[in-house]
Amino acid sequence: MRDSGQGSADPACGEFQMKHPTQNEFGNGADAGTSEAEQTLRLIAHLPAPEGLEDRVQAGLRSRQMDAAPGARILAWPALRPASGWMRTAAAAAIVFVVAGGGWGVYTHVQPQQSAKVIVMPPRVVSPGGFSNASAMHVPNTLNGPTIPNPAATSAAQPKVVAMDAKGGARPGAKPGAKKAVRRAHAVKPGNQATPQAAAQAPK
Amino acid sequence: MSASQAVFAGWMEIPNSAVSDEARTQAEHTRAEEATLAALVSQYAGTLYRVAFSVLRNAADAEDAVQEAFMRVLRHRDTLDEVRDQRVWLIRIVWNIVLDRKRRAKTRPETDDVSELARVLPSTGLSAEEIASAAEHHAHVLACVEKLPANERRVLMLSAFEELSSVEIAAVLGITESSVRSRLFRARNLMAGLLNHARSLR
Repeated sequence: MRDSGQGSADPACGEFQMKHPTQNEFGNGADAGTSEAEQTLRLIAHLPAPEGLEDRVQAGLRSRQMDAAPGARILAWPALRPASGWMRTAAAAAIVFVVAGGGWGVYTHVQPQQSAKVIVMPPRVVSPGGFSNASAMHVPNTLNGPTIPNPAATSAAQPKVVAMDAKGGARPGAKPGAKKAVRRAHAVKPGNQATPQAAAQAPK
Repeated sequence: MSASQAVFAGWMEIPNSAVSDEARTQAEHTRAEEATLAALVSQYAGTLYRVAFSVLRNAADAEDAVQEAFMRVLRHRDTLDEVRDQRVWLIRIVWNIVLDRKRRAKTRPETDDVSELARVLPSTGLSAEEIASAAEHHAHVLACVEKLPANERRVLMLSAFEELSSVEIAAVLGITESSVRSRLFRARNLMAGLLNHARSLR
């Protein structure tokens, strides 16, 4: 109920307390308006609570308490509760021991294969632009330089040609076999190419 | 029995008296809390319901709010002894709950206040026409109350509860008593203006 001691002891407070419409401090218009509003609000504030509200609230609280009861467990070990401190520590230590031991056992029994072939890859040279050549090697596409034939070999081959000329192999109207022999004599091996000068001398 | 077995048996041995004492104390404590909570429910459920209904204006929502308020009390039942004024504390809890619900309910379609008021307001000795007329009038007044600024509206609504003094209203709203008085003064002035304006338009 209303705390009348607090409400009436303070005169300043009483000035603004809810009053009967006839006691309102405002003018007639304000009086009527305020009284209407306060009457409505008071009417609502005094509505009775629905029947059985307390029972429903109590039942709801009871069901919530049942749900949140600390003893409602699937496995309840009440006998171990007072010693739960050291039991918990011992259980944690045992779990750590088992896990560490198992890990050590696995480590000692299963060693990685060391005989695997090791392929040594050439070091990758990363270009400054960030692109790589994918290990492709560049081979310059250059021609072989001119090679001077061995003067001793040249001098040894020259009389032979001359001799063949003497037989008339190079002459027009000579036998086809003689022509072949001349061509064979002037044939140039890939590693021993004839110089332009020698090529120019050859048909003579 | 080996030495290790004996040590283990010693560890496992728990005195029955300690267990029973603790269980008994726990049970007594729980019983005392339940009794306190039951007393709070039977004493203040009606008040909390009316406070909730004055804001929500829906019977089911108000009952839900009361239930939720006591659920919160149950959650904080360990601190019940530290509460100085349990009535104000409970009203403050339910007040915060209903304001929160009201804020969330703004997105939902509003209920028909007139029909709800006609259903819940006392109508003894009135004809159906008078009941409808009174309900419409109260709905109009409440619509004007809704137009008030939030601070003034809350003070005006709480001041309609005769069991709440200005000190207690200040405690519920978390403001000073002088603020309650000034807000109530402003609320009454604004309310009078709103209702006079509405009357002049008719």
